[in-house]
Formats: sequence, structure tokens, C-alpha cells
Amino acid sequence: MSEQTLVTVKNLSVSFGATPAVKNISFDLKVGKVLALVGESGSGKSVTARSLLGLSGGTVTAKALEICGHDALGLSDRAWQKIRGNSVAMILQDALMALDPLRPVGREISDGLKEHTDLSAKVRKQRVIHVLESVRMPEPELRAKQRSTELSGGMRQRALIAQALAGNPQVVIADEATTALDSQLTALVLSQLRALKDQGRGVLMISHDLAQVAHLADDIAVMKNGEILEFGPTDQVLNRPEHDYTRKLLQAVPSGVPRFASLTATPPSRQVAPVAKAAKSHIDPLALVASNLSKSFGKHVAVDAVSFELPQGKTLGIVGESGSGKTTTARMVLGLQKPDSGTVDLLGERFAPKSEPERNQLREQMGAIYQNPLGSFDPRYSVGELLADALSRGKTKRVDNYPSAARQLLEQVELSNDLLSRSPRELSGGQRQRLAIARALAPKPKVLVLDEPVSALDVSIQATVLDLLDRIQLETGTSYLFISHDLSVIEHMSDFVAVMHQGKVVEQGGTVAIFGAPQEKYTQQLLTAMPRLR
Amino acid sequence: MSRTAKICSVIVIGIWLLMALAPSVLAPGDPLAINPAQAFAKPGLAHFFGTDESGRDIYTRVIHGAGDSLAIGLAATALGMGLAIVLGTMAALSPRWLDEIILRVLEALYAIPSLLMALLIIAFTGPGVGPAIVAVGLSTAPGYARLVRSQIRSLKNSEMLEAATVLGHGTWLKVRNHLIPNALKPLLALVTLGIGQAVIWAAALSFLGLGTPPPAPEWGAMLSAGRTYLHLAWWMSLFPGLAIVAVAVSATLIGRALGGKVKSL
Repeated sequence: MSEQTLVTVKNLSVSFGATPAVKNISFDLKVGKVLALVGESGSGKSVTARSLLGLSGGTVTAKALEICGHDALGLSDRAWQKIRGNSVAMILQDALMALDPLRPVGREISDGLKEHTDLSAKVRKQRVIHVLESVRMPEPELRAKQRSTELSGGMRQRALIAQALAGNPQVVIADEATTALDSQLTALVLSQLRALKDQGRGVLMISHDLAQVAHLADDIAVMKNGEILEFGPTDQVLNRPEHDYTRKLLQAVPSGVPRFASLTATPPSRQVAPVAKAAKSHIDPLALVASNLSKSFGKHVAVDAVSFELPQGKTLGIVGESGSGKTTTARMVLGLQKPDSGTVDLLGERFAPKSEPERNQLREQMGAIYQNPLGSFDPRYSVGELLADALSRGKTKRVDNYPSAARQLLEQVELSNDLLSRSPRELSGGQRQRLAIARALAPKPKVLVLDEPVSALDVSIQATVLDLLDRIQLETGTSYLFISHDLSVIEHMSDFVAVMHQGKVVEQGGTVAIFGAPQEKYTQQLLTAMPRLR
Repeated sequence: MSRTAKICSVIVIGIWLLMALAPSVLAPGDPLAINPAQAFAKPGLAHFFGTDESGRDIYTRVIHGAGDSLAIGLAATALGMGLAIVLGTMAALSPRWLDEIILRVLEALYAIPSLLMALLIIAFTGPGVGPAIVAVGLSTAPGYARLVRSQIRSLKNSEMLEAATVLGHGTWLKVRNHLIPNALKPLLALVTLGIGQAVIWAAALSFLGLGTPPPAPEWGAMLSAGRTYLHLAWWMSLFPGLAIVAVAVSATLIGRALGGKVKSL
């Protein structure tokens, strides 16, 4: 073997009680290489990664499990402690959760050194500064003294990576390290991982999204149900996938897929049926108009003079990083937050600012879908009761009063009627979001406001929900205000795009124009940071 | 809630209900029947808990007293909770100035010990079963109201409520369907604890001669009657006292079991 192998895994199996989570998988990780484990939640990828740290929590069996020359089979907890941080380290997903909010990040980073080395406090401090420098933290001396809550999102992410690097590990595991980050933070983490690879470390990336790993991984292992279905060099897996499941995952990535083209159909049908025009209406051709919406919280200006138009039957995508004012804008459009100034018109009638009784009749025309559907359901209600509650505008939750309407709604979102008596808590993430869509459709709204509707879902589940939204729009002519931090989702779903930054719309126009030839520097920055497959 | 705890609670509730609704099944005698010849009989086979100064059977009176005591406890808690729901919901949904006013009034009432307040109310209304219920109910309301208010305030800003707003549900429907039921769920355990407390206060009022008038078999009143003869007939005070303790303890245990259940949801 010409290259040095850092991790050898042969016939690894992990089980929890009688339930196998990982079945008989094998792979190697070599110096200066990036290996990506890709699969849906529940595929066993995180368990695999954690078993390299002795943290799987299940029963581990393997023919061989070698980490940086150590035989890691049947190690005691103490022996694992020597390996963790020194040989293998993990970058966690959520920087805000992973760093102690009450301690300076410098102390958090030096904890590992204190545990593993005999270095004096002074040397440790230097090492911490050095490691912060290596992740290009601005003003490392100052930042080391600050708590994680005092740092910006980007700096927090850097601190998290620095924490993993403090013990100078040869192997770094990134478990969904870019999931739920907006595009600029994603780009930051990806560039950091690339730097690690260039330094000759081995990187194990875990993700549910092939696009996230496409540009960095040397090899990709596609996992499902605890098994590796396909394993090969990145180029081969992405361009000449052998397994149907890999093809399905690739197809589910929305970037570069034209409007209304399916992300799930097999065989892929990129052909689009002509839109069945929504019944010609004599009302306003514009479904939704926002003009000069502004909102401040104390001194903080959240939304600053935002204007946009949403034509009937079309989708306007609002894209921006977290804190750019997208959600506040959505709340003002929905009439949940009173704008400081500016107006919202729905189907040619004034919707905001107006008192709740005055716009009560218009309410039926606008529905909302949230990122976390469970939070928007009354926890005491069953699926059927939720639908009856929506259909009756709260007058009853007896589904018997609306037997056919409730069934029709479930059918519309491709859910089985058997679910009517179930609790939403028993449903999967994708099913919950379908139920939220069904409920929002109950009053037959003309406009749907979707606030990060697929951000909490795996790419493959996201694809099915996006396809569903497409179908509903074609069938009913509903207009969508689609809010997301994910550029590829916005590109696939929108006819028009508005880019938000620090409370302002910095650029808006047709999707093709914005994604093809962005005019503003900020938009260009966002687009270059966007991970793409196609 | 563990299986044993569940079974025990059901049995205990069953016994109390039986005592309250059909006391004659457990004690067929007449709680008011006087038999001076048998006065101050010691506990024994003829009279399980002994007899009082008029020769009335203490066992029969304790069993028959359960109805009144529990009814006062339940009615007072229901009254207090009902009032608390109205006040708490009003405060939570009102504009800030009204919320502040309601809150200050509640805090002022909360600062007065409940029993003292009950006595104050009785001073205006005069003694009796009705006044005792009102007094205990009113004196527990401020505490509950503050909890209801804070529950509703956090629910008011939840996505669940926003979703209902967007679906066009009116304010009253949102309050009735979502706010109150979800606010009360975590309070259920507390209410059960409260029933035990209310039984004690009701007994305390009767003990002071301000609740159920004699000769009705009320535990507090019996305790009070027994006090005079404590040196020669300890059983007159002991058994009604034990009954009060038993109700309070079982209400506490059931409340705790429910509390565990609510948390696990």
C-alpha cells in the first residue's frame, strides 16, 4: 500500500439490543483524503462515525477496527479517552449547543489539552491562540477570552472546529457539520475541511446531502439501513452511479433542476406538462404585494423598506442568511406582526396593517407552512381533528362532520386515510410536513407562505415534499411565497427571487437572471458559496 | 406513572368516592343517632372508632363525613380554578396596562395567607357550608391565576396559536380550543394537590366553628368537639384527624403521580 492508512474498518457491525444499526461494513481512510458517508437519517452513518470514537452506545463487533495504528477493538473507556481528541476528533453540528455558553471559548478549547498533555498553562494558552489562528479566527487573543454567545455565527463555527483540532488529531469526523447552516457558513466549514485535508489529515464527512460533499470528498460511501450500498471514487459515484438508491439521492438534489421537473420520479422525467391555467379570474393578477415594509425591534432594524410582488400562480423565493429579516417579513405578510410602516395587499385588497376582525374574510386566502410542523399542531389533536379544526375554522374537531373533505385533503398530499386517528407525533418528519400542507390547504387559500418548509428534512424527503408542492401549484394555481436559506431549493422552486441581506432586499428579479447573472456583489458571494452538483 | 402507582391511585379514588356517594354501604348506621347510654365507649368490636359524648358512633360519622368534606374540597377548588382561569386568561390576553393591574391585585391577594383571607371572607358572609366553599375557593384563586396567566402567555406566542390565527380562527375559539386546555394540562397535578389542601382548610374553618354547623358529621367539627374531651376520649379527635390526613396524603400522592405523567408527555 503506497498511501498511509489512518483508519481501517473491516466488517463492522453495531447493534442496539436486538436491533442492528450498522451491518458488516468495511472502509479505509487514508492520509490527506476525505471520505463521505452519505445516507438518510436512520441509515447508520452517525452510528458508524461514533463507533470510531467509542461513542456508539451499542454493541460493536468487527474483524478489524484500527485507528492511527491503535487496535480499537474492545477498548476500555479510559483507553478510548486517550484516542479521542489526540487521534480522532469530531466537529459537532450545532455550535451554539456544543459550546458551553458560560465559559470563554479559549478555556473550552484548552480543556482537551489539559486532559491529554502535561503542557503548562502558558504553553496551552499559546497553543489555543495558534489553533484559533489556524482556523483563521479574526483577533484570536480577544476571541479566546469571549464566550460563545458573544461570537458571531461564523466565529462560533471556527471555534468549534478549533476545539476539535486542539489535540492535533490525525482523523477528523464532521457529522452533518454543514447541515442547517446558511450558505456562507457552509462555505466556511467546507473550506476549513479542505484545509484539514491539505494538512494531511484524514476527514470523514457525514451528510444526508450529496451536493454538500461533492466537491470535497475523494470517495463516497452511500449508506442505507446500516449497509454500504455503493462505495467508490466521488467522480464515479456522482456520474456513473451503479445503485438505484444512489441515483435517487442524486436526483433529489434540487439545484439546477428546472421548475416543476420531478425530483423523485423514476425514470427521471424532466419534461413538464403545460400548466393547467388557474381559472381565469377577473381579480388582480397580483396575488400578493408588499410595499415598503419596515420593522424595528428596539434599535435593531429587522426589516428595512422591503417591497415585492407575487403574481398569481407563481412562486417568489426569498433567500438570505439567518438574521437577514426573512422570517420577520413573512410574519408581517401573514399579519402576525404589525409593520412599523408599509402595507401588504392580498388579491388586490388591503391585508396589513388592518385589525384582525377587518381582515377575517381575507384570512382564508392565505395559508402558512412552518419549518417545524409539530410546533404548529395542538399536541392534543389527532390528524383528523387537526383537519376538522382547520376545515371548520375552529368550530369543531369532530372529523365525522367532514369525512370526505378530510380524506380529500390527505389524498391531495399523498397521505393514507388510515392516519386520521393517529397523533402527528407518530408520523415521520416528511409525513408531518405533508399534514401541515394539507391543513394549510383546508380553506383553499390562494397564497401559501412557506417559511423554511423543508429545512429540517433529509434531501431525499425534501425532494418528495418539493415535488408535492409543485403538483399542488399546478393543480390549484396557488401562489407561493417561499422562504429559505437554501439557494438550491430556491432556484428549483421559484419563478422570481428576492435576495435579502441585513433587512433589505438587495436584489430581485427572475430566477434565471438572478442565478445566471447576479448584479450585486452580495448575491455573487452567496452563489459562489453554494454547493452544486450540476 | 408506574403501574403500581396507577393501580393504587384508582383504588384510593374508588374508596373515597364510595365513602362520599354511598356511605351506608360501609357504615349502615345513622350518623346522627344519639344513644347516651353508650357515651364515650372505647373503640372495640361494637364501635370500631368508639363513640362521642352523645353516644354517636364515630366510625359511622367519619364515613358519612367524607361526603361533606370532599364536596367542600372539590367545590372550593373548582371555584378557585374557575376564577383563576377567567382572571389568568384575561390578564394574559389583555393589553399591558390591564395585565399589570390584574397582576398587582393578584399579588396583593397572594400576599395574604389563604386561611386568614378565608376568615376575612367568613367575617363578611357569616358561617356555613356555602360561605366555607366560597372562602376557601376565593383564597386559592390568586395562586392558580398567576400560574394560568404564565401558561397562557407562553402559549399565546407559540406557533400553534399563530397557525390557528392564520387559519382564521377567532379569538374566542383559540382561547377555548387551544389556550385553556393546553394551559390546564400541566396544572392538573397541582389541582389534585390543591384539593387535599382545600379539604384541610375547610376542616380548619369547621374546627373554628365557621364551616359546617353541628350536628352534621364534618371532620373539622368533630375534631373541635373532641378537643373538649381530649383527656378522657382521645378517639373522638384521633379518627376524624386521621381521615383528614388520609385525604390530604392521597391527594398529594395522586397529584405527584399525575405530575410525573404530565412531565413525561
